[in-house]
Amino acid sequence: MTTNHKGDRPVRILLAEDNSADVWLIEEALRRQSLAFQLDHHLTAAEAIEAVKKCGFHGSPIPDLVLLDYNLPGGQGLEILTAAAANPNLTGVPKAILSSFLRPNELEDVITMGASCFIPKPASLAEFLGDVGTKVVYLLNANGALQGNSAKTT
Amino acid sequence: MMPQQVTDFGSQFTGPARVKLLAVDDDPHNLVALQAILEPLDQELMLAENGTDALRLCLEHDFAAILLDVRMPVMDGFETAEMIRSRKRSHRTPILFLTAYRSDEQLFRGYDLGAVDFLFKPIVPEILQSKVKVFVELRRSEERLQRQTEDLKRTERRFRDVLEAAPDAMVITSEDGRIELANSRVDMLFQYSRETLIGQNIRTLIPEWERLTAEPIQDSSAQMEIRQTGVRRDGTLFPAGITRSPFHASEAILVTTSIRDITSQVDAEARIQQTNAELERRVAERTAALSTSNEALRQFAWAASHDLQEPIRTVRAYAQWLSEAVNGRLAERERGMLAIIEDHASRLNQLLGALRQYIHVSESGQQEWAPVDCNAVVAASVATLQTMVQETGASVDWSSLPIVPSIEILLLQVFQNLISNAIKYRSSERVPMVKITSAATKAGWTFSVIDNGIGIDAKYSEYIFGVFRRLHTVEHSGTGIGLSICKAAVERLGGRIWVESNPGHGSVFNFTLPRDPHREGRTQ
Repeated sequence: MTTNHKGDRPVRILLAEDNSADVWLIEEALRRQSLAFQLDHHLTAAEAIEAVKKCGFHGSPIPDLVLLDYNLPGGQGLEILTAAAANPNLTGVPKAILSSFLRPNELEDVITMGASCFIPKPASLAEFLGDVGTKVVYLLNANGALQGNSAKTT
Repeated sequence: MMPQQVTDFGSQFTGPARVKLLAVDDDPHNLVALQAILEPLDQELMLAENGTDALRLCLEHDFAAILLDVRMPVMDGFETAEMIRSRKRSHRTPILFLTAYRSDEQLFRGYDLGAVDFLFKPIVPEILQSKVKVFVELRRSEERLQRQTEDLKRTERRFRDVLEAAPDAMVITSEDGRIELANSRVDMLFQYSRETLIGQNIRTLIPEWERLTAEPIQDSSAQMEIRQTGVRRDGTLFPAGITRSPFHASEAILVTTSIRDITSQVDAEARIQQTNAELERRVAERTAALSTSNEALRQFAWAASHDLQEPIRTVRAYAQWLSEAVNGRLAERERGMLAIIEDHASRLNQLLGALRQYIHVSESGQQEWAPVDCNAVVAASVATLQTMVQETGASVDWSSLPIVPSIEILLLQVFQNLISNAIKYRSSERVPMVKITSAATKAGWTFSVIDNGIGIDAKYSEYIFGVFRRLHTVEHSGTGIGLSICKAAVERLGGRIWVESNPGHGSVFNFTLPRDPHREGRTQ
């Protein structure tokens, strides 16, 4: 199994995604990158907001990556991002927005609120697995989270 | 003996009205002689043989002069003259005495009785003629004067009648507004009695009244109704319609001011304004309601085209994933089934993409209008279709297309879709040839995209512009939204689009673009 540089643990990813079909696809994409990972998965925006507020407090772990679906029930992708930006423990942790489509003004908003990256959900399986996987690996690499992890580097 | 009217010279002629003369003599021979002498004067001469007859005639006629013989039996000339003078009708008729005697006593008596002259017998015809002629002329000018006076009186009466009958209050003033005359409607309207108004200034009634400044004919304020305020005697005000017309009287310019109480007109106008405002408010409300429902529809279409994409993407990805995962373990028929799921999901995805494009085009009214060179737009369209053009060996020709006020991105969509359709629906028997022409019209331009393809049956010429309408199988055609996009784009640009076709030989897609798109009122 793969390890990371901070004591042989898998990379920790905080994921907010209501579509379990997409959760499977995301897991498959990460597996195909040979990435050892642990998903902290939240189905609703409310849960995810609570989770990002707690990160680094009271023994709650700090994730290596925050991955947010923008179109959650209640449409609160931006609120999760705002909550994440307010938590100093998440400063420097890459935050990526997942969505099949963003309006230009929405893209502007998420970037303003500290998203490092927008990852579109492509229509075909090959593209989805390829794009999501490589972008996640790229973000983790850029943040130095993958030293020792056997994930392919891009 | 009855007086006889012996002569009526030339009554058949129309000339100056003849005057009446009376000759009185007891000797018929003298009367005949007088008649002969006076005949050349061509007047109406009446004859009497005694004073009684003369008096009777004087009761019935007005004579210009009376020739009176002094010596007559029963009632002599002086007595007769006295009687004539005493009658009101004849009291000023000139009397000429005819006498054979020159006595001072007679003369004094005669002049005392009002004689104007004496003629001594034997009568000298020329003297008699010239004396009588003077009286004839005198009478004529008197009559003329009388007629003129009557005419004048009639004219004035008529003028006053007209003034009285006028539907409006009429005030005639001097140039500076001093009231000379007013009709009874002025009394009614302003509650004054007319007599007290004469001599006052019209500004008592209409404080804003202004004298006509320039030459009346050039002063446009004359003859045109203006709105001012009328002041009644009790001080109450009313809106007044004022028209001033100047006219040149003999010495000065007088101004007729007509005044109308326009209270009901002003009220009616206010009501109309109120009604209009109400109408506008309702239109605005309705428009707001419509744009709310339009906005709701727009949001629905937007959400549908985007939200449907999510499940379709998932279906497609999972069909692919499954077929990848179980590959080799499935029978060919089962793999076919998975392929069908994948194909249809992919097609639905494509349709949703086209629908999004359609929504985008039909809503892009906010883009910048700018002069667009159609030659460049067509060239750009052909460039994006390069693969298709090369694969089919199609030729696309155009020349000297105009520069039009337009939105470039929309125009590009139109040409791209029309040219792509022209090649897509080509005949299997011919190399596709596409020609783009333009013609200037009064309102703008008509563009034509002409092909030699399979053509379209006339009964489908409206149908094909609807969203998702297709005439051909999925394999042969696109999303069925290309022409809808063209229609939406052309209508956004203020034009219209239609097709003419000869099935089996080709189609011509025409569309218009207005010269002044903002006045043409773009379709929503």
